[in-house]
Amino acid sequence: MPHNRVQSNKELLYKKELEDHQAAILDVLGDNKIDDEDIRLSRRAILNVLEDLEINNAHLEQKTIELELSEQNILHTKAISDAILESIGDGLVVVDKEGKITYVNQAFERMVGWNEEEVLGKSIIEVIPRESEKGEIVEFNERILTKVLSGEIVIADLTNPFYYIRKDGSRFPTSSIVTPIILDGEIIGVVETFRDITKEKEIDKAKTEFVSLASHQLRTPLSTINWYTEMLLAGDVGKLNSDQEKYLDEVYRGNQRMVGLVNALLSVSRMDLGTFVLEPEPTDVTALVRGVVNEQKPQIDQKKISLFPLFGTNIPLIQTDPKLLRMVIQNLLSNAIKYTPNKGKIELSLNLVNKKKTLLFKITDTGYGIPKNQQSKIFTKLFRADNVREKDTEGTGLGLYMVKSIIDNSKGKVWFESVEDKGTTFNVELPVNF
Amino acid sequence: MKNKKTILVIEDEKPLLEAVKMKLEKNNFDVITSRSVIRAFGSPLEEDGKGTVTKDSIIEALKHIENLERVDAIWLDHNLLGKEDGLDFVTKFKANDGKWSKIPIFVVSNTSNSDLVKTYAKLGVNHYYIKAEHKLENIIKEINLCLEPKK
Repeated sequence: MPHNRVQSNKELLYKKELEDHQAAILDVLGDNKIDDEDIRLSRRAILNVLEDLEINNAHLEQKTIELELSEQNILHTKAISDAILESIGDGLVVVDKEGKITYVNQAFERMVGWNEEEVLGKSIIEVIPRESEKGEIVEFNERILTKVLSGEIVIADLTNPFYYIRKDGSRFPTSSIVTPIILDGEIIGVVETFRDITKEKEIDKAKTEFVSLASHQLRTPLSTINWYTEMLLAGDVGKLNSDQEKYLDEVYRGNQRMVGLVNALLSVSRMDLGTFVLEPEPTDVTALVRGVVNEQKPQIDQKKISLFPLFGTNIPLIQTDPKLLRMVIQNLLSNAIKYTPNKGKIELSLNLVNKKKTLLFKITDTGYGIPKNQQSKIFTKLFRADNVREKDTEGTGLGLYMVKSIIDNSKGKVWFESVEDKGTTFNVELPVNF
Repeated sequence: MKNKKTILVIEDEKPLLEAVKMKLEKNNFDVITSRSVIRAFGSPLEEDGKGTVTKDSIIEALKHIENLERVDAIWLDHNLLGKEDGLDFVTKFKANDGKWSKIPIFVVSNTSNSDLVKTYAKLGVNHYYIKAEHKLENIIKEINLCLEPKK
């Protein structure tokens, strides 16, 4: 090995130097008339020093070898890391703080059609424009990169996909994770991994279409049960005794629940398919909220819940889809009722905020709350928090998912604060000028 | 009773058709039923030759032609047997020189997309109910309300 040869050359050189020094010292000592004992002692002392030097030298050489070895190790490890990055199946792109590309892997090149040389040093936003499902380019200030540079981690997945545009202008649905690169506590850039989710999207679509079709088919037998039960309960074919009436009433109510569930599934599948078109019209939101409250008054009274509605004055008509907004308010109120124990309290309010540019609907209950560790999942489709699953079997896990979809599509905002066993506040903001 | 109203019910699901018929009769209606557009208009044969021509279906069809003249209201499902649906029915119905244009049509369907509701509205049909969400009783109540002579 080359470094062994280097080592022995160095050793030889060093030995020779030592011998020269030794000889020089002995020469000097030899010229002076000092007694033999002195000389003997001095010699010994010098030899000791020389010996120490030799030991030190050996240590130094050992260190040099070690350094060379570790340098080799580092180079080797780096080669492996490079190979790993290069071979990751997902597209990988690293940008600096200015959003200029500093690294891309092979999957990136394959997926978007640009070569490394073509993109290094260029702005990622120009190289791979990101657009929404509808083909709207995501503006720079909204872009994930911008968020990540301020420290956020941003995940876009099947529930929230976007499209990357390839070099040839074609596009593909993408899921990605974008993370800040932090060195010594400072963000020095951003790393993004992304993958083509065309297949997943197709499967998701097929699934949604199936749900839509199945739900529709399900409604027919449900209607049969509904109408026949209705006629039996009305005594159309003879009077029922009280037990029969009670049992049939259970059948009827069970069926109504099923109808509700099927409706919810249908709505969700329409939202997922993008066939749920907003039909905004000037809407009196105050009247709408009052209407929903009246509708649910029986359930509120049944649980002896005290309700405190507070409506701001001079709320104008708002351009929004009344059917969908109704669904939002219905869901939030029925959740508040369902998840608040008897004799609890619900406050709701409707006000103009933000210089009258925004309508804020707020609903606060003294209910079971959402456990802290599950709060991030509360808007996820079919998700139900553990604490309420134990208490109530009637939720579907679709209500808040729908609320979020509707509000997001209406350019509004929905958020909440919640403390377990204390209560929850949901806030919905809608722009006054849609 | 003399002022018994006649209603034509077009619904392809047999059990539902039965239920609607019974409930309407309970509420003092004369009920004519049909499970397809073609039959409602009196031809027992479907365009592609499918469907069976039986003595009953011919009689049923003839009865419809005869009775359609004195129908007070129509209960219409959207999805029907055969190729045609409720929209085809309304189109044909309204095309008849406006002769029947005053007869109110009540669409009672399980299809609930808003495009469909709008298309019916464009054809002049403004009563639209989702089967699974309404009691028969309530729909009949609204039909009665609509048929009441205007004071």
